[in-house]
Amino acid sequence: MRALVIDDSRAMRRIVSGILEGLGYEVQQAGHGREGLDVLDGGWLPDLVCVDWNMPVMDGLQFVSAVRSNPAWRQVTIMMVTSESEHTQIVRALAAGAHEYMIKPFTADAFRDKLALLGMLPEEVAL
Amino acid sequence: MTLTATSFDWVRALVHKESAIVLQPGKEYLVEARLLPIARQMGIGDVSSFVESVRTRPNPDHNRRIVEALTTNETSWFRDGDPFTALTSTVMPALLAARGPNERLQIWSAACSSGQEPYTIAMLLEDAIPNAASRVSITATDLSREMVERTKAGRFTQLEVNRGLPAPMLVRHFTRAGSEWEVAPQLRRMITASECNLAAPLPRMGPFDVVYLRNVLIYFDLPTKQAILRRVRELMRPDGWLFLGAAETTLGVDDSWERVVVGRSSAYRPLKGN
Amino acid sequence: MTGFAGSHGDSGERRRRSDASPVITELIDEATVQGIAEEAWSALVGDEEFLVPLPGGLPDDAVSSWVEIVGPWNGAVVLTTGRSTAKELTRCLLAEHAPPVLDDEDVEDAMGELANVVGGNVKAVLPGPSVLGLPEVGTAPEPGLPADTCRVDLLWRGQSLTITVQGSAGVLDEQKNGVPL
Repeated sequence: MRALVIDDSRAMRRIVSGILEGLGYEVQQAGHGREGLDVLDGGWLPDLVCVDWNMPVMDGLQFVSAVRSNPAWRQVTIMMVTSESEHTQIVRALAAGAHEYMIKPFTADAFRDKLALLGMLPEEVAL
Repeated sequence: MTLTATSFDWVRALVHKESAIVLQPGKEYLVEARLLPIARQMGIGDVSSFVESVRTRPNPDHNRRIVEALTTNETSWFRDGDPFTALTSTVMPALLAARGPNERLQIWSAACSSGQEPYTIAMLLEDAIPNAASRVSITATDLSREMVERTKAGRFTQLEVNRGLPAPMLVRHFTRAGSEWEVAPQLRRMITASECNLAAPLPRMGPFDVVYLRNVLIYFDLPTKQAILRRVRELMRPDGWLFLGAAETTLGVDDSWERVVVGRSSAYRPLKGN
Repeated sequence: MTGFAGSHGDSGERRRRSDASPVITELIDEATVQGIAEEAWSALVGDEEFLVPLPGGLPDDAVSSWVEIVGPWNGAVVLTTGRSTAKELTRCLLAEHAPPVLDDEDVEDAMGELANVVGGNVKAVLPGPSVLGLPEVGTAPEPGLPADTCRVDLLWRGQSLTITVQGSAGVLDEQKNGVPL
């Protein structure tokens, strides 16, 4: 299983990558939405993308819209991971095509719970 | 993943012995994640080495910390998934067909804690059945008055709504209240919450079509487990459904139940003639 | 806006945007800010980590990280603490991913992310829609009016940490100069 972690904070990229690698994921990182799209354009297709909202160059919402508008990337599951937590923001993210939404701050257990909801925990994959 | 199979098996055996909770294969990552902080606090860099040191130099205090770290009952929404999806996929259709159109279905969340379980049920039903509040009532009970008050209030912190609640359901059924989230009034109206001690004779309630009695029996000895299951059955309809925790079973405890596979989980139904 | 005009000696004809800009003390209180910080600390710094609401006294080498909020209310959410506390926070945040030696970039990044997490959650309590800026680190921006400042002094592991939700100082300057907002 492959995951792409996009966040302008190196600390947050490390934390999220750590959780995913602990679950057996192969992880790549990007610092903003444009870098994330470059990874996908380069042919490395993740099963899961965890993307922050507020980032320089291209924010997470724009990234989600870009991915969802490309039929070749239809299978990519996207979870936003962000401190944006108004009701309207979550609605916007889901409307743009994000499958799930993890509000910061989050615990590792909560993160894994969300992956379970997405069917992206290792046991789910093994079935 | 540094955890060896031997270490994992030893931890599984310890947890089962001390808590009756079963750690399924595939949960190695959970053992790694939960025990690593304890290992590091003791100056040991990895979980397998830590487990080895505890195994070879038995220490009741270390054992207890390991068991606690792995069995912390963090309340989450849709805990274990299937017992709730089974409600809409199998149980409710069967009950709606079996009951008259004006009969209200009754569901009991028998260890409701801060309310995640009864509201999980309420949300599912609200999404699945038109006018759910008129067709179903949910009784939520807990030993703790504080938990009952929390369930009535239907208010949760950001950290609490993060635990296993699908984002689409969060936006559909909650509004923000300051820095917290509050369940929609119509869902709160579906639930009646009260204090109840399962280990004592139960108040008049029900009769219930569905009972959720999850991760509660493990805390009691065998005679009490049996008494609780008997009292619960007395408050259920003969064709009702009982859901226990993922690691729990009536097998070896009470043979008046029939185990039924529902999706990837099990439910227990009163055996005919009992 | 009671008491506002008198205390600053103007004619009371404070110019504002067409929607009257509220002051922060009408929108959020210290307890809510502290609660947001506690949730952030519990999840990211460690679940046994406590924040005690007591003033400590910041050292001279204090460092700040902040995020701006632009919307019906304009200002910033600022975290300020001593440099060594910032390093300790960074180490906790990174946990097992922390390098043996932390450099300034690690600390600024971690402090920035904490400001982002606290700031984003504060923003959600305030009237919207508003925009959250990217985190910045350095010398904290000047606070605006005292009435437009919500300050929480905390102790973490006995060390001083301050969280300030402060309105833009620009309002005060423009108001003094009579510049329309």
